[in-house]
Parts: sequence; C-alpha cells; structure tokens
Amino acid sequence: MDYTFHWRPVIKALPDLMEAALTTLEAAALSMIIGIVLGLVLALLRLHGNRPLYLFATVWVEIARNTPALLQLFFFGFGLGAFGWHLSPFMIVLCGLSFNNAGYLAENFRGGFLAIPDTQIKAARSLGMSASQSYLHIIIPQVFRLIYHPLTNQLVWAVLMSSLGMLVGFRELSGETQFLASNTFRLFEFFLAAAVIYYLLVKIVLGTSYLLCRKLFRY
Amino acid sequence: MSTEVNAIQFFSGFQVSDLWYLAKGAGGTIVISAIAISVGTILGCLFGWALSVSRWANMTLGSVLDVFRSVPLIIQLLLFFNFLPILGLPVGPFAAGTIVLIFYTAALVAQVARGGIEAVPSSMRNAARSLGMTYWQDIRYVVMPVGLRAVLPAWTGVALGVLKDSALVSVLGYIELLRASQILVTRTQEPFIILTIVGLFYFALSYPISKMTARLEQRWQYD
Amino acid sequence: MKTFTKHLASLAIGSVIAFGTITSAQADKLDDVISEGTLRCGVVLDFPPIGYRDANNEPAGFDVEYCNDLAKALDVDAEILPVTWAERLPSIVNNRTDVVFGGTSDSLQRAITVGFSIPYAVYYSQAIVGKDSGIKTVEDMKGKRIAAAVGTLPEKEFLKLAKKWDTEDLYQGYQSENEVFLAVAQGKADAGLTTNTAVKPVVQQFASLSAGPRMPWTTDYTSVVGPRKDQGWLNYLNLFVTHQVRSGRYQELWGTYVGGQAPELRIPNVLY
Repeated sequence: MDYTFHWRPVIKALPDLMEAALTTLEAAALSMIIGIVLGLVLALLRLHGNRPLYLFATVWVEIARNTPALLQLFFFGFGLGAFGWHLSPFMIVLCGLSFNNAGYLAENFRGGFLAIPDTQIKAARSLGMSASQSYLHIIIPQVFRLIYHPLTNQLVWAVLMSSLGMLVGFRELSGETQFLASNTFRLFEFFLAAAVIYYLLVKIVLGTSYLLCRKLFRY
Repeated sequence: MSTEVNAIQFFSGFQVSDLWYLAKGAGGTIVISAIAISVGTILGCLFGWALSVSRWANMTLGSVLDVFRSVPLIIQLLLFFNFLPILGLPVGPFAAGTIVLIFYTAALVAQVARGGIEAVPSSMRNAARSLGMTYWQDIRYVVMPVGLRAVLPAWTGVALGVLKDSALVSVLGYIELLRASQILVTRTQEPFIILTIVGLFYFALSYPISKMTARLEQRWQYD
Repeated sequence: MKTFTKHLASLAIGSVIAFGTITSAQADKLDDVISEGTLRCGVVLDFPPIGYRDANNEPAGFDVEYCNDLAKALDVDAEILPVTWAERLPSIVNNRTDVVFGGTSDSLQRAITVGFSIPYAVYYSQAIVGKDSGIKTVEDMKGKRIAAAVGTLPEKEFLKLAKKWDTEDLYQGYQSENEVFLAVAQGKADAGLTTNTAVKPVVQQFASLSAGPRMPWTTDYTSVVGPRKDQGWLNYLNLFVTHQVRSGRYQELWGTYVGGQAPELRIPNVLY
C-alpha cells in the first residue's frame, strides 16, 4: 500500500464540517416541514378534490415517487433555468427535497386518513364541529400518530438525500466535504469523516424522534 | 491535418443518434440495477434470516447493515471507489458501483425479510413443527408463502428505490442513463428536453411495477 | 520425505514472497504501466477545446491526443478515464489513474501531494459574462454572482478576491465547467470563470455570452500530473513534453484545437 493517510487537514477542517452538518439538518428539516404541509394538501386533494385537482395531485405524487431524486434536483436546477427561472443552490435542494417529500408523505397521509373510521367525523360533526374543525382537532392528530414512524423515516431519508446538494453546488455537508477534499486531495479521509458525521446525524434524528414520540403519544 | 479551427465542433445540437446513446445508458441502468437487486435480495434474505434467529447476529451484522442505511449512498460510492485503489485493487466504476449497490440493497432487504419472517405468527410455526415438519419444511411451506405476501410491497419499494438510486453511480463515471444525459446536456446544452426524456424513461420503468404491486396487494387482501 | 516436501514448500513460498516484495519495491510506475499494457489516463472532458466529447460522444481534444501520443510512445494502450475537476488529483493519489492531463496548474500546494512534469501548456484565466451583465473589468465583478468549477485554480483564486470583497456567498461552485457556461447562459450567474482557450468556442456557442475580462492572477503554467514519489515516471513525462514540442506535434495539435501559434513553454526570467 503506497498511500499515506493524512488526517490533519480533516481535523483542521472539523469546525467547517460541523457547520456544514448544521446546514444539512436545516435543509432536511425545512424540506420536511414544507413536505408535510404540501403532502397533507396533496392527500386531501386526492381524497376529496374535484377531477382536475385530483389529477394534479396524482401526477405530482407519481412523478415524485417514480423518478430519481437526483433527476428532480436537476430539473429544479438547469431544467427550470431553461425557462429563465433561477433558484439558488440552496433553493434547488429545498424545492427538490420538498417536492419529493411531499410526494411520499402524501401517500402516507392518504393511508392514514383512510385508516380512520368515518364514524369519527360524523361524531365530531354531530358535536357541532365544522368540517375543518373536525379535521384539525380529531382526524389529523390521529393521522400523525398513525404515520409517526414513516414520518421519521422520511426525515432520515431527507438528511441522506440532501447529500445530493453536492451535485448542484450547495455547500451542505457533502458539498463542503467535496470542496475541502478537492482542495487538499485527501478525498478518502474527508469522505470517511463525512460518513461518520452522517451516521451520527441519523442517530441523533432517530433518538430525538424516539424521545419526542414518548412525550407526544403517551397515554 | 487541417489547421482550420472552425472545422471542429465542440458543441452540437441534439440529434437522433443521441437517442441511441441514451438507450445505451438506459441499458446500463437496467443491467446495474438488475444485478444489484437480484444479488442484493438473495444476500438480504440470508441476512434477514440470520437477524431473525440469532441475537448475536443481530448485534454484529445488524449494526454493520445499519451503517449502509445511515450513510448517504453517494458517500458510500465515493468512499468505496476511492478506497480499493489505495489497497492496490483498482476497480472500475461499474464494479465499484455494483458492489456498493448490492450491499446497499442487501441492507434494505434484510430489514424487509426479517419483518416478513417475524410477520408469521409463532403459533402457526409451532403448529407446523408439531405436525412433524422439519425446520426447513416449516420455512419453505409456512414462512415463505405467508411472509412473502407480507413483504412484497415493501420489497418492491426497495427494488424501485434501488433502480432510481442507481442514478448515483453516475458520480463514479459509469455511463448509465443519468450520466449519458449529463454528457448530452454538456454537449448540446439543451437540459430541458434531455432531462424530460430521461425522466419519462425512469417513470415508464418504475410506474407500472409499482401499480402492479399495489393491485396484487389489494387482491391478496381478499384471499 | 514428508518434512523435506514441507521445507521445500515453505522455501518456495518464502522465495515467492521475497521476490514479490523485491519486485514491487523496485518496479516503478513506468514498469507498472508497461507490464500492464495500458496507460490509465485521466482527462477532464469539459474543457473545450482541450478536452471534450465530440458529436459521437467520444472523448476528443488536445489532452486526449496527448494521452494517445504518450501511450504510443510507451507502446501500450491508452485508457481514457474521464475525471471531473475535483477528482482529477485525488485520482492520482488514490492510484485510479497513472497520469492526468487536465490543464493542472503546478501550484506549490498541489505539489505537496502530487508530482508535476515541466509545463506542457500555458493558459490564463478569463471570465465569460452574460451580455447584459454589464461586466467589463474585474472590478465590475464585485457584488455579482460568479460561477466556477469546484477544485480549479480560478475557484481558489477568485475566492481570495471574494473574501477581500466580502462577497463569498455570491460564489457558485459547479461540478463541471460546462455547467458553469450553462449557468451563465441561463442567467443563474452573471459571470463564469474559465480558461482563455475555452472562451472562443463557448462564446461562439451561446448568443447570450461574451468574452469577459482576463482575471488578475498569474499565467497558468499547467503540467502533466503523476504520483509524487515516482521520479522515474515524472522524468519520462518531462521528456515526453519536450519531445512533443521538438517533433512539432505540440504546435500541430494546438493549431488544430485552439488555433494560431502555440504559446512558448518557457517561463521568463527563471531557469526551470
């Protein structure tokens, strides 16, 4: 083996990597929040929307689920650019991930809505709640409990997929790693460090979600 | 040789022969995903079985497989691709990409397979054994038929995920569909058309399979 | 008898191991390439006209021809491995390529990690700008969105400038120079940094682009790259570069791909 490992550049760059890891978490969390809102809307459109709205939501969901996330990011980058729409690298990643999250979450939400018996709505309505009130206070909280686990998985997935930001010029953890690696040529060392940080990030997300679950859904 | 500079075209528009180039790229995508999904599934089932029977395997193998699910695929690919030559074993982008995708698939399938095995009620398996079935007969005639149905949707999800994730092998330089499209975008500078064609291709591959599984799943529910 | 065979076997294994270590210690890159019969040649293919893909999507350009010439000189097959700007030098460090032709400036920082030949081509950094960007001079670039490829000299130098201006957040790093051109052509960035040789073909291609100012850093003496410790290999590369010039091949290829008189490969006022 002719290779000499150099860890000093990595250690020197650790603060930069940590900052980039925060950017990764931010992008993932934001895309998740937007994804949840859009996913809820899409699910409701697919359940209750009129024909054009139903079609719109279905096309969105199917495209998001049946094409590679990287391709979706490229579309938000150079694809939209062809029409003179310019998103910053951060916006490309945020839009791409939110689009994708919304598509996957919409199906989870739809399943959740279908799992809740109609009688509950009827009961809520007979108590004098409006349709939106009964959704907001009765149905949606239960749906969240039902799909809490898939929701967590989607967040983990968003953290991992934000690494594609590297390929569209976004300096999240992977982009920063690539930048540093190409400046110091210690590609292997830097990407190994990034792998460890991602692993820890995922564990932190899962741990937080577990604690939150115990707090939120304690009977 | 001519010294006329303008005779050389550095950029040229999208032409019919480029569709053939994309088709070859699509072939690359299909080959690498087919290998990864089939080998990865077999490995994953073995891993899943090991996880379900042994606590020891659960601790060791389980945590190794967990790494594959907790590190972005693109990082796994770059690490592996750059690590082997350090050991003096240079592998090409195709080999490196395939190996990483196989283990990535196996890690995901292991979870699914384990879920499938555990989805079979233990009372059912005890009944099988008390009827005189051997362990392997129990696996073959009780666990597999029941478990398979339980995991088919999840497995299809994994397989389609790998098909789409195989696009990431493009970062290693293996010319699959996405890489082919990037090369064409570079040369023709017409991103929108090319990205649309590529998107349609992935969609045409993935959508029917996911719909078919959904239908099968529905039918099985009434059995 | 049995012990004798055992001894013989261990002797055989021992000598194989010893022989193996000796040869691997003495064989250098040059021997490796010749015994392998292929030259793994990293080329950056988004650097028209130095490296690009032709209408059949095959690698072409000045650097690709240099690879082929080097392989011919060694009497081995050339394997062209397309690399991005960011991975061209790590590919040498990680032994994925034997040699890299990719307009690599011979900076002292890089020379800590990889080995350089004598200069084989000379460039300077120049901007391409959007027609409506209003950028005429380097000073005009202050406060504008500037794009370059990750891991290139223009990126590094520009970021120093941007730091001075405090506009680092307006910088955009792309995976390839073609993405840089596309970004400027689409209007995602106001200007992109590239090399003088690329400016002409790029400006010809995009009606919305025009040639921008020459960037204020020094001339780019670019070298062929090899593993740092392989002095024998680097010597061979040096000799190859001089032979390309002496045989007239350098001028011929430069004339074909770039046009005009090939730049002199001599660094003024210093003995190289």
